[in-house]
This record gives sequence, structure tokens and C-alpha cells, in this order.
Amino acid sequence: MKERESLWDHYLKKGMSRRSFVKGCVALTSLMGLSTDMVGKVVEAAEKTPLPVVVWIHGHECTGCDESFIRSGSPLTSDLVLNEIALEYDHLLSAGCGEPFEAHLDATIQKYYGKYILAVEGATTTKDGGVYCMSGGHTFSHLLKKASAGACAVVAYGSCAAYGGIQAAKPNPTASSGIGSFVSGKPVVNVPGCPPIPEVMTGVIMHLALFGQLPPLDSEGRPKQFYGNRIHDTCYRRPFFDAGMFAETFDDKGAKAGWCLYKLGCRGPETYNSCGNLRWFQGMSYPIQSGAPCIGCSNKHFWDEDPLLERMPKYAPVGNVDKIGAVAAGAMAVGVAAHAVVSIAQKNMKEAKELENKKE
Amino acid sequence: MADEIKKEEKRKVYYIFSPFLRIFHWIMVVSITVLFITGLLITTPYLTYSAEPTTSWMSLDWIRNIHFLFAYIFTASFILRIYGFIINRGDRLFPHFWKGYFYKNSIEVAMHYMFLKFEHKPFLRNPLARGAYAMIYVLVAIEIVTGFGIYYMTDTSSIGGMAFGWVVPFLGSEYMAHLIHHYVAWGIVLSALGHIYMVIRAEFMEGEGEVSSMFAGTKMLHHEPFDAGHLDGSLK
Repeated sequence: MKERESLWDHYLKKGMSRRSFVKGCVALTSLMGLSTDMVGKVVEAAEKTPLPVVVWIHGHECTGCDESFIRSGSPLTSDLVLNEIALEYDHLLSAGCGEPFEAHLDATIQKYYGKYILAVEGATTTKDGGVYCMSGGHTFSHLLKKASAGACAVVAYGSCAAYGGIQAAKPNPTASSGIGSFVSGKPVVNVPGCPPIPEVMTGVIMHLALFGQLPPLDSEGRPKQFYGNRIHDTCYRRPFFDAGMFAETFDDKGAKAGWCLYKLGCRGPETYNSCGNLRWFQGMSYPIQSGAPCIGCSNKHFWDEDPLLERMPKYAPVGNVDKIGAVAAGAMAVGVAAHAVVSIAQKNMKEAKELENKKE
Repeated sequence: MADEIKKEEKRKVYYIFSPFLRIFHWIMVVSITVLFITGLLITTPYLTYSAEPTTSWMSLDWIRNIHFLFAYIFTASFILRIYGFIINRGDRLFPHFWKGYFYKNSIEVAMHYMFLKFEHKPFLRNPLARGAYAMIYVLVAIEIVTGFGIYYMTDTSSIGGMAFGWVVPFLGSEYMAHLIHHYVAWGIVLSALGHIYMVIRAEFMEGEGEVSSMFAGTKMLHHEPFDAGHLDGSLK
């Protein structure tokens, strides 16, 4: 396997010190969401494991996940792409194009069959044979099947690849869906988000690269270390929620004071992501910090859960459910009263009849 | 003394509900009331503009904790219900869907409630009510499953997380779980209003201890009820 170098080989080749290698490993450990007692294992893996070959394909999507990915701060995306993984094929980042580029994909799949990691962005389209998303003269679903057949693991980047995404919103004219059903038999890591947090994207692929196995996944196939907590439970505005202090409009006193955005439709209480603890762009900010309620972009179906600035009871397919319930209760009270009156009348009639029968 | 004030008549006293069912029932009443009110407050929190959180005695945090506390109490109280079900035939209220008389009698009771009949034949526990109670248990089960499904998502590796971790993926999204939890809560409360009316009405119309049976466990009937055989198992 000397044709593929490990991270340590790479450091040696570049003439970098052991010290900086270990420091890099410590940084990797924390960005993968592991505890510090795993550092030893990370160092060992970085010394021995050859750098993973990655094939990165794009389907029905906006490439926003790449926009996020290239802004990763630790590790720097340039480091990751050039030094830490062997990115053999990427629709967006590759310099090559045309037939030689497609031929290189086939060669890569053959050469590293069963060993490469397949990263997928974007949904598949299934309507009309999948013609609504074409890649290299074939449908994207064809490419997906071909590329996933030889992959050791598949990473579904973004809500599109994981669940279908915006283009799967009702009425879903292209019948877009997540990639799950096209990569049968291969382990899939879902990394939802629109887009996912850059450090989450790099962290997941580094975990696969160094340990050669999937990170621990939850019931929706998401890595637990990044999707184990609700944004609500990690939000720095949570104390305002607990205290009952809410912004009611975007320009009121509460909004200015940075109170909880729950009443403005924040989906934080239903959303599992690392925005609250990692935040975005080296911890600079995240939507709630900048005063915008979370729209739950890493949730399945979030695109159909509109209006995004309303929560229950106003948000509901049938209207304000509490008002409906109160009206129903009122109607019931009227009905009950009417029923009671008739019941009394009926009872009186019955008793009068019985009395008559007795007299006869 | 005049006949209207005091009269002598023959009644049979039937012991129906065990103390376990009765205690369960009243725990359920308190729990549902508290859960519904706290649930509405969690959905639409009132604002505490005027008070600083340090001086306000009630916070949303507390309201949520009360909601969770009563959810646990209510769920745990099913132990009483199940124990009563095992030891006492009168506690076994499951409607006999598989018997012909269930449908016949239900229609008769329904016709009486729609004023199409003067009366229905006497029952200790009428089949329509039993059908309604079965429906309530289904609603309560949905509340428990969706509630814990949402609650345990904070710790999916715990026992509760493993037991209820399937709920949110099954429903498609956590927001859907919230919606169902909220809708069904209204369903339960509306059913409870109907239940209260029907019980008071039965007491008023028959005067046979419908209301007090949930305290004393017994009903006192003038007539021979159709389903008396359920209590000793002689009605097959």
C-alpha cells in the first residue's frame, strides 16, 4: 500500500516536525467530536492509515454545501483536500473536465474498488427515468449507482442527499429523494443541513479516513457527535426561554435585548445540529445569534414545514389549533346543554307515561 | 313522610371498580388537567416583560418540569390500572368487539342518546361508553408515545431513548410529533368534557350511582343489568 501515504508520511515528506504532527492530531481529535483520551488512537491511525481516496459527486442541488465546505477553518479546506484526503474526483473542485475527467472517474473506481469513500451532495431525481439531473451524459442516479457500487462508505452531504432537500418540496415535480435507496448495501452517513456546518463536513470525513469505520450514528443515520443535541438545548439564548423572556416581533424590546426567538417560529427545539456549540465559521456566529430564528434546515421535511416564522398553535396544516379546539369546546358546551334539556324533557315524558300506566 | 321524600324500593348493589382503577382514574383527572394547561403554556408561553426572571416565581423551565413530572406520574399510574385489571373483572372495560351483542347494544344506547328511544336496557357499564374508553386509551397511548418520543431525543442512548427513539423517524419529523401530541391533547380534553356530561346525565336520568361509583366502586340498580354476568364471568 505504499502508493498511498498516511498523514505522518505526508508530514515527513514536507519536513514538518513530530511536534506539529501531534498538535495536528490533537486538533483533529477535537474537531471529530471525540474526547481527549482518544488522542493516542488518532495519532496511531494518522501514522498507519493510508490517506483515504475520496470521490465526490454532485446531484440535484445548489452546491451550497461546497460553499460551506470551502470555509472550513479547522482543518483548513485546502489542507484537507490537498494533504489529508486523496480527492480523486470532484465535480466542483477538480481542474479537469470533459472525457478525460470522466475516464479518470472510471479509472479511480476500478483502481480503488471497495476502498474509496464516496461523498454525495444533492438529491437524486427519479421521475421520467431521472432525466432532470444529468451528469456526464448519464442520469445522476446512474452515476450514483456506479460510484457507490465500489465505495466502502457513502457520505450524504446536505439535506438534499440525506432527505431530498428543497427540490423535494411539495409537489416535488422531479420526484427528488435522498440517495439512501440508490446505494443499497453500503453504509451511509447522513450529514444533513442546508448547508451542513463546514467543520462537521470535514470532521465526518476525517473520522472515516482515520478509523476506517463509520462514526456512531443515530436512528436517522446522522453522526451522534454532531447531531446528538438539539440546537435549543445548546443555544446561548436558552436561559431566556427558561425564564419566559421572548421576542414577539423582530423589532421589539425583546428582539433588541437578544431574548429567545421561540415565538418567532424558531425551530431550535426540533432541530439536531451543532450550530449551538460549534457555531459557524470558526465560532463566529449562527442564525439565532444574528437574530434570525432557526428554520431547522437539517430536519427532514423542513422545506414543507412553512410558515417558518410561526410555531404551534398558529403553525398547523389546519390553522390555529388552539382556536379550533376552543371553538370545538364551546360548540360542545352548547350541544351538551341542548342535549341535557331534551333529556330532561324526555325523562319527564317517560315518567308521565309511567304514571298514566299505573293509574290505568 | 310523603312518598316523594322517602320511598322503599328494592335495589341491587354491584361492586364494580376496584380501588386501583378508582385511584388511577383520579390521578388521570389531575394529570390530564395539569398536562393540558402546562402544555398550552409551553406552546404559547406568556410573557414576563414586567418581571425580572430572578423575581418571577414561575418560569417556563418550571412549567416544562411540571409537565414532565405529571407525564411520569400519569404513565406510572398505569401500574394501578393494570393490577386492577388483573385482579378484578369489573375493571375489565375492553369493549367486546368480537361479540354480536356489543353492536346490538351499542346501537340501542346510541338510539336512546339520539332521543329515538325512550330508554335503553340497563347496563352496569354500557357498551358505547366502553368503546369510548377504549378510544381514550388509544389517544393516551399516542400522547405517551409522542411525548416520550420527543422527550428522550435529548439522550438517545438511554433506555428511554432506545424505547422511544423510533417515534420521530417513524413520524417523519419532530415537528410532526409535536403537532400530533398537541392535536391529540385537544382530542382527549374534548372527550373528557363529553365524558363528564354523560356521567352526570346518567346519574340524573337513572339515579343509580354513576358518579359515586368512581368513589365507592359500586352502583345501585333497580333493574337487572344486561351485563351483570361480566362481573362473575357467567356472560360469555
